Amino acid sequence: MTAAEVRRVPRARRKRTRGVLIAGIAAYLITFVVLLPLFWIAVLSFQSNNSILSDPLSLHGFSWANYINVFTRVPLLTMYGNTILLAVTSVTIGTIISFMSSFALARMVFRWPKFQSGIRLYLLAGLAIPIYILLFPVYRVDIALGVFGTYASLILPYVAVTIPFNTLLLTGFLRDFPSELEEAAIVDGAGLWRLCWSVVLPLMRPVLATVLIFNVIYVFNEYPFVSILINNPSMTTVSLAVSQFQGQYSTDYGAMMAASTIILIPQLVIYALFQKQVVAGMTVGAVKG
Amino acid sequence: MVWLSARWKLLIMVVPTLAFFTIFVVYPVFYSLYYSLTDFIGFGTAQFVGLANYSTLFTDPLFWTSLRNTAIILVMSVLVLIPLSFLLAILMRRQFRGARILRALVFAPGIIAPILVGLIWVFILDPKFGLVNALLSAAGVASPPIWIGGSALGPISIAIVFIWSTLGFAMTIFYAGLQLLPPDVMEASALDGASRFQQTRYVTIPMMRETFAITTVLVITNVFKIFELVYQLTGGGPIHKSETLVSYMYFITFTSQQYGPGMAFAVIITILGAIVSVGYLFLLRGRRGVNA
Repeated sequence: MTAAEVRRVPRARRKRTRGVLIAGIAAYLITFVVLLPLFWIAVLSFQSNNSILSDPLSLHGFSWANYINVFTRVPLLTMYGNTILLAVTSVTIGTIISFMSSFALARMVFRWPKFQSGIRLYLLAGLAIPIYILLFPVYRVDIALGVFGTYASLILPYVAVTIPFNTLLLTGFLRDFPSELEEAAIVDGAGLWRLCWSVVLPLMRPVLATVLIFNVIYVFNEYPFVSILINNPSMTTVSLAVSQFQGQYSTDYGAMMAASTIILIPQLVIYALFQKQVVAGMTVGAVKG
Repeated sequence: MVWLSARWKLLIMVVPTLAFFTIFVVYPVFYSLYYSLTDFIGFGTAQFVGLANYSTLFTDPLFWTSLRNTAIILVMSVLVLIPLSFLLAILMRRQFRGARILRALVFAPGIIAPILVGLIWVFILDPKFGLVNALLSAAGVASPPIWIGGSALGPISIAIVFIWSTLGFAMTIFYAGLQLLPPDVMEASALDGASRFQQTRYVTIPMMRETFAITTVLVITNVFKIFELVYQLTGGGPIHKSETLVSYMYFITFTSQQYGPGMAFAVIITILGAIVSVGYLFLLRGRRGVNA
């Protein structure tokens, strides 16, 4: 390094530092604007309804009244209980059967290999189907199967509509993954079930975590199916309850904001805990292509 | 593996998935296709009426309103969301303190249930007590716009909320794309004296053409699925002026119980989505071709 170069470095670095600073400030500003709506409802949820209606910008006092109101009127236990029940059952069933079929489609030997890739494409084609074309027919199928009005009326379609995405992820993972360990296990005399359970399943833990979390978020946030397949208040889910707040509280905005905040917080906490898998699950299809 | 692949074992592994998928996804698609060609009224036998339901829809001015609104949201999303999320990805790539946390925070709106997103934004956009108009009034704007509930701005407000909830998702895809750029190209252009702006304009953007295409297609597919936002923000009103394709299809099918036209509507939405998906596959095919 010559003396001239040594002197040039600091100036270049200073320029780079200034660039980083500007980029940082801009990014912080944008992030602040993005998060503002969430802060806003959290702040206003501690204001009285009159104060919100007369001038939302004037913050006076601090009161838990809206929260007390919500906790006494919103059936939080029922709606979270139902949602968790739906999520746990449908995601468990969905993950297990998608794992089984994906393993078969990626690893096992079919007599006609064309049939094997055909089944995979058949399942992947589901990625292009918007769920809105399924709503009314699924309602009819539920009635025909005699499950309408039960949790199964939602669990069955939830399992079905997550299959294409699960298949994409799981077969994709298996295809890129060497099968030597499995072959070694077979040579050691492992049967199919043992192979799946004690060899393949542990290896696939990262991708299975992505699948699980993506599916849980789907079921938690799902509204269209819930809105037509639940007709019994005791089966209310979180999404369904949220959809009724505006009708229920009509002009009690303070209570509505408190209710929104109560539902928002667990979602954000779960996101904070599983942020890596959540982002991976939601973008993996796009990034991997 | 061959001797573990007895036919009965294959069946056990594959049949549950095939059964669920066929009964609850494939059969319903054909059900909708079939009943879109009949005068089905929810019970009894249905008469075959050919394309009558489709022509009913095409003569319904509100169908065109919902298509136009969806188009407005789509254009706004492509023109605002794509450049904004790309810019944000570029900013986030600089090594400032907290960049990782900011990326996670910007993504957060994307995981909130759309039905809750819609409700949250009522408190921001409501013309009387919403945050935006409160700020505008405080800044001295005499008659701030009627974001929701009025006759003109409905679809634009829906687009704003959609952009808000999708920004982090699009940014993340761009960010991942930026990470994949070969560093030597960047270094070479920097050595050649290119400024940051020139690098972005003449090196980064051309090299990321596919990422732009993929993000655009994903954004468009998501625009076709907008439903809960409409339900919460405007309810499709006033007098259906702010309906999107899906929200109006939902109204036709489930509120006014016109199952024939409703199924025809669902088929049209699916075909529009399929066109976009085919375009997407085409793009990916093109990429493989280039690489090979």
